[in-house]
Amino acid sequence: MRLTALATLVGALAAMTAPATAAWRGYISHPLGFAFAAPGELKVEKGTYRGAVAGQHDALVYRFVDDDIEYKAVVIDMSDTANDAATLLGEAEYNFQAGKKVLMDTFGRVDRQYGRKLTIDLPNNAGRATAAFYFINGRIISLQATVLPANGDYDTPEMGRFVDSITFFTVRAEDDAIELPVPPK
Amino acid sequence: MRRWLLAALAGTALTMAAMPAQAAWKSYINRELGFSFMAPGEVKASVGTYRGNIAGPRQTIVYRSVEDNIEYKVTVMSFIQAQAEGANILGEREYMFQDGKKVLVDTFARVEPGKDSVYGRKIVVDLPDKKGRSTGAFYFTKGKLFSFEATVLPASGDFASPDPGRFVDSIAFVLSRTEPGAVELKTPKLE
Repeated sequence: MRLTALATLVGALAAMTAPATAAWRGYISHPLGFAFAAPGELKVEKGTYRGAVAGQHDALVYRFVDDDIEYKAVVIDMSDTANDAATLLGEAEYNFQAGKKVLMDTFGRVDRQYGRKLTIDLPNNAGRATAAFYFINGRIISLQATVLPANGDYDTPEMGRFVDSITFFTVRAEDDAIELPVPPK
Repeated sequence: MRRWLLAALAGTALTMAAMPAQAAWKSYINRELGFSFMAPGEVKASVGTYRGNIAGPRQTIVYRSVEDNIEYKVTVMSFIQAQAEGANILGEREYMFQDGKKVLVDTFARVEPGKDSVYGRKIVVDLPDKKGRSTGAFYFTKGKLFSFEATVLPASGDFASPDPGRFVDSIAFVLSRTEPGAVELKTPKLE
């Protein structure tokens, strides 16, 4: 009996020393037509995307960091060049992995959308990133999760959980999904 | 000395006779559809059909030749009204090409440099039931889906032949890159 109590206490202590991970929550953007799930605190940022074919475009970034894993949902508005969708998406995928060690490069198929999923090791031991890329409604939508060296668990299932949580049928979003804020001006 | 020469000549002649006859590779261009490629053998044009869940039913323009038991095929489909869906239509075509087959290569493909680049994919698959090995390259540009497929048939058996790669790598969309004297291809009429 005393042994069982001791084991329980040790177990509880072990759980307390594990890194604190935030709960995953659902997020949805009705205007952008997609939803996903992520842990941690949401920050909305503006970025820039540049490609030889695409030229320069503003990017909207929904960013989270939890347990030294960075989660980003990147939206690049390509509506002015959407007729070149296939090449623009191909270029974004290519740029993501160019000069890096590719561990996975496979089809991504979600809600009648064909895209790609890639996993790469970043140069200089800067971490491992998994990303999914899709082109829908004149936008490149990319979910990217990067395990930073401070985390070090490069086989964590959290990266896959994040990129696979995307849906373009907003009815499939979690019932209590939080509406993503409108991009800052 | 004369015996040596005779023996060398006879050897060369015998080797050449034993080799399968290979047609010369020629350049082909279709200015209306905006592409060119190289292939051996006699290229014939025809009209075919394609169906995808996303693409829907489509008529296709096919250019095909067979040489030394390798089939070379270019398929062009027009999606002028659905260009913004190009990435999805291309993805579906690539997926269908490899679905249910053993994939040997699946990699980025890029034709033309810099801002003229057209991105697609190159995929090599082994066909089921030992029906051969297919190399495909797929692009969507200017409202058209282009598929380049070279299939080494079992009768050839040379599955490591460089000819499928030569075929799919010969594609050009910037027609100033096409070899002078390329054969002009006619576009078959669709219904």
